[in-house]
Amino acid sequence: MSETTSNSAAALRCVVVTPEETVLETEADFVALPLYDGELGVAKHHSPMIGRLGYGELRITNGTNTTRHYVDGGFVQVADNVISVLTNRAIDADTIDADAAQKQLEETLSRQAAGDDQLAIRDRRVSQSRAQLRISRRPK
Amino acid sequence: MANPRELDRRRKSIRNMRRITRTMELIATARFKKAMDRASAATAYTDRITKLVADLTKSGLAVSHPLLEPRDETKTAKLLVLTANRGFCAGYNGSMIRHGLKRWDELNSEIPECSAEVSGKKGIGGFKFRNVELAEAFTQFEDKPAYDAVETIANRYLDAYATGELDRLDIVYTKFESISRQTVTVETLLPLGSLSDSTEEEKSSGSDTIYEFVPSPESILEEVVPTSFKVKLFKCFLDAAVSEQIARMVAMKGATENAGELIRDLSMQYNRARQGRITSELMDLIGGVEALK
Repeated sequence: MSETTSNSAAALRCVVVTPEETVLETEADFVALPLYDGELGVAKHHSPMIGRLGYGELRITNGTNTTRHYVDGGFVQVADNVISVLTNRAIDADTIDADAAQKQLEETLSRQAAGDDQLAIRDRRVSQSRAQLRISRRPK
Repeated sequence: MANPRELDRRRKSIRNMRRITRTMELIATARFKKAMDRASAATAYTDRITKLVADLTKSGLAVSHPLLEPRDETKTAKLLVLTANRGFCAGYNGSMIRHGLKRWDELNSEIPECSAEVSGKKGIGGFKFRNVELAEAFTQFEDKPAYDAVETIANRYLDAYATGELDRLDIVYTKFESISRQTVTVETLLPLGSLSDSTEEEKSSGSDTIYEFVPSPESILEEVVPTSFKVKLFKCFLDAAVSEQIARMVAMKGATENAGELIRDLSMQYNRARQGRITSELMDLIGGVEALK
């Protein structure tokens, strides 16, 4: 895309979809994505990319207000100033059930896991619930 | 000679039935609209996944994944049949059971070890009646199948496939094409075969953007393939739910119309019988008067 068209083009758009519904479709100045191996910030005119998401916080900054969501793995595709977030679940940070996450964390940690498969499941559940807890505890 | 009182009683009971079927039709219509909204909301996700896969294949990556490759030897197979929990939807459950059993027989003749799973009370009953042992039965899917619930089932299949306990998965469901068209579909979901149904179409229309892959195309592919299986399965459940509501809507509409017709016929019979009785009473009277003269 040439500079002249992209300057006049609309702002960065962020679309969050889950298999059940389109959770969010909004314009944004800056989006922080929880990638598989760390956070990635995306601003306008980011180069096209496809990334694998981990469990963590998705922050969308538009002007002065920031919306925060917990995303549960999935993918992100950035192209032409559109960020598509494909995830299994996207929960608004304010509605995260911290108690349930804590309970799941304790329960998972206390359970014995044997074999690679079960260990992988346990690791996944632990990181899911830890990410939820982290987000719910963070001050707004 | 028909008894007018008897006819009136029948007419009343049909009227009650018509009230019920009409209500059921309205409920099915409302549910259908909701299910339809959900199904179209889900396409936003599937479209994007398809696009992602298309972009991934365009990057020159050889798409290979254990889920995509057919097994050399198919030893175990599973059949999943999606039916409704409730009846009153014309041939919907019947045709699901019929096609399910047909595929079940085919699988049994080809593959040594088969197991069947059925969703929906009607299907469970139908399979039990024909003495087919069910490995698993689900009744939790109503008109709003939740992704989480479908994902649990999908994960179980994926695990079984990965460990070699399962070589093939077939599904029988009603595919929703349009409001006036739903077709019974028998599909093999595992092995997946290809990731997208319309690969050639995508190739010609796609843009030539070069993507950066984080962390690597292989890692993304590793995750995309199971996800697209899950989404495919979820789509089957959504389609089945929409089709069920449509089937019920049509069946109840037919029943309501039929009841109206019956009421009209009975009303005519009733009026005729009443008039006939009045006439014969008059004849009696006249006959009595004549005799007195």
